[in-house]
Amino acid sequence: MNPTTLHAHSEGILIYRSGESVLGGVPIKEEIWIEKYRPTSLDEIVGQPEIVRRLKSYVATRNLPHLLFSGPPGVGKTAAAISIVREIFGENWRDNFIELNASDERGIDVVRTKVKDFARMAPLGGAEFKVIFLDEADALTSDAQSALRRTMERYSATCRFILSCNYSSKIIEPIQSRCAVYRFRALTPEAIEKRIRYIAEQEGVEVTEDGIEAINYVARGDMRKAINALQAAALISDKVDMNTVYQITSMARPEQIRNLIKLAISGDFAGARSELDDLLLVQGLSGQDVVVQIHREMLDLDVPDADKARMINRIGEIDFRITEGANERIQLEALIAYMALTGLSKSTAT
Amino acid sequence: MVSWAEKYRPRSLDGILGNAKAVAELRAWARAWEEGRPEVKCLILYGPPGVGKTSAALALASEMDWDYIELNASDQRTAEIIKSIAGPASQVSTFSGRRRLVILDEADNLHGTYDRGGAAAILKVIKDATQPVVLIANEYYEIEKPLRDACRGVQFRSIRAQTIASLLREICRSEGIDCDPEAIMHIAEMSGGDLRSAINDLEAAARGLKRLRLEDIATSERDVKASIFKVLESIFKGESARSALEATYQLDESPEDLIHWIDENLPVVYSDRDLVKGFECLSRADIFLGRVRRRQNYTLWRYATFLMTGGVRAVSSRVRRGYTQFRPPSLWKRLGQTRKARSVRDSAARKIAAHCHVSTSYARSELLNFVGALLNSKKIGATVAASLGLNIDEIALLTGSAPSTKKVQRLFEDAQRMIEAEQIAMIDRGLKVEERKTESPEEQAAKETSKDMSQEKRQRSLFDF
Repeated sequence: MNPTTLHAHSEGILIYRSGESVLGGVPIKEEIWIEKYRPTSLDEIVGQPEIVRRLKSYVATRNLPHLLFSGPPGVGKTAAAISIVREIFGENWRDNFIELNASDERGIDVVRTKVKDFARMAPLGGAEFKVIFLDEADALTSDAQSALRRTMERYSATCRFILSCNYSSKIIEPIQSRCAVYRFRALTPEAIEKRIRYIAEQEGVEVTEDGIEAINYVARGDMRKAINALQAAALISDKVDMNTVYQITSMARPEQIRNLIKLAISGDFAGARSELDDLLLVQGLSGQDVVVQIHREMLDLDVPDADKARMINRIGEIDFRITEGANERIQLEALIAYMALTGLSKSTAT
Repeated sequence: MVSWAEKYRPRSLDGILGNAKAVAELRAWARAWEEGRPEVKCLILYGPPGVGKTSAALALASEMDWDYIELNASDQRTAEIIKSIAGPASQVSTFSGRRRLVILDEADNLHGTYDRGGAAAILKVIKDATQPVVLIANEYYEIEKPLRDACRGVQFRSIRAQTIASLLREICRSEGIDCDPEAIMHIAEMSGGDLRSAINDLEAAARGLKRLRLEDIATSERDVKASIFKVLESIFKGESARSALEATYQLDESPEDLIHWIDENLPVVYSDRDLVKGFECLSRADIFLGRVRRRQNYTLWRYATFLMTGGVRAVSSRVRRGYTQFRPPSLWKRLGQTRKARSVRDSAARKIAAHCHVSTSYARSELLNFVGALLNSKKIGATVAASLGLNIDEIALLTGSAPSTKKVQRLFEDAQRMIEAEQIAMIDRGLKVEERKTESPEEQAAKETSKDMSQEKRQRSLFDF
């Protein structure tokens, strides 16, 4: 059996802790803070008071419509889904719950097989229904979404869906109309500070005022990023201040992407392509990962603003093409070649 | 008409060429089965294509007089299908009472949506098997670790050109073809140790001939190469867009492959603005290829083909002369070279994604470095490795050290100990739950009554007896 699923049963650990070990076994501790401090109840979710209040009313009636959670990453969508299921089903919540990530399994086959197989089995342990949590549902192709729509209808007696997405506009209308839609907002700096201070206290880490500010700057309203930044900084020093936070974030910012952009702009196509191949073929990043990271570096780039606007326009075009099924390597090569235009126009001007 | 590769497939293990050690291991294992319990129930035959792995498995079955059942990649191999076919087959012996060998071909090809759960299903089949099982794979390390641990690996190596040549000569003899030794040697050397492809090449060149000369092979090979290079020549140096397009009519490559040839050579020939415009054209061609892939509408290929040939030609007004050394696409070679690194990275990302409730792609781009930093921490490294269930290759990759280093070894071993301790804890917990149950008064009472009843029953039956 997979050890990760074993130890994820945290109730099991609670029961275990209440007594003494019989055989001398020790459960594996959770040391990744985003999981260690993942909310287990709706009350622990910070920064979304209205949503939490409404979700609690479902728990009180022990019934649930289909739900659609939309909002940026790291604001509590997954946490809310898991918490509500735990509160409704209690200790054996996992029996009637399945979590799928649509961006890993985008095709219509997932809906036809995994989702349907789970949906059509009767709920276990006397539960009224079971819950399918489909994370990043906006990654599903529109064909898959159409298939999902029928599945939602057909099994609605025994099965509830919680969909989460970054943009609700990418979810087809018929699905939206079958769901209660909740829009999660980016977390305020205060909400993030509160949670970060709590975790720091539990872990015996000192965080300075400017350390909090730096974490907030890096996280931009994303709790997952904030907690990761805190833990990474705490690895370097027991005292987390602005310097330690920036130290780790510059480490996390891929040198290679910057180098790739630099080579591309200077017109060294072969050099830039070799970096690209390393990212795609050796490190196994997806084309979209690379596009997103190039885009992230754009703002800080030392080129005229007009060039930036031109390049970002092109990056967006490439991103779209890759989503539509084009070959990521050829598209990114075209982008690299295009970036050289900045250097070219400079040399013709002088 | 049976192909020669099939016709001359060895019928006994003695006919397996150039892998004496592997054959000996197979025989020893089969004997162990006949004598009772073998040390391992399953072998993994691994090695490059066309060196006789499948042949060896089939020959083993026929030599031992065993039945066999074969599943390969052309069958869809979800967990369900593997269980339903290989499961019963590996437990129940045939009516005749003979053993049945279960052969799972292309076992390193189990990932992807369709074969999801396939590896786990195979592991289960092996654990429950009462019949011999053979897995066949090209890449030993593409097979998931737990599966490797449950089996023994038997390596097949490429076959020496001399050995291949001697078999080719034998085939020629029995087909009644008179052949030049140079021709045979040429085919054998071209094959790169792949016996099956050598036989195929021989058949392609020699079937229907009375005599096979070196020229017969050399010309056919040169023709193929000439045509792709001729097309590149007219794309980059031809007179017009039309002639660039027309050059592709004779070409035996799909646009899907051709685009990579052009992609590789575009930066060799073009530079500056021509390069930018050339890639613009190529990326437009690629969009059409993507649409064909999505919609299976092959008529769109005509636009892709024009854009990548005539279109690329048209972006440059310069006429180029002289000799250019065109290169074959580097992409395929690099894909082969980097396959292992990518698969380790992907499996690590999958484990992290499942644990942290995020997508694999998020884990790959955002969390791999972070988890690497956690693993490098003395205090919590082993615990993190244990909670994610990382194997030794994944730990090595994430920490940026070689798998053979002390650091990686120790992390892995510590993590394994923790996993074992937790499994004990799970059993522990089972006991605790039981204990807790007996403490509840109703259940205590219920148990008492049932105990009484069973005692009563027992006594009565004793009495009756």
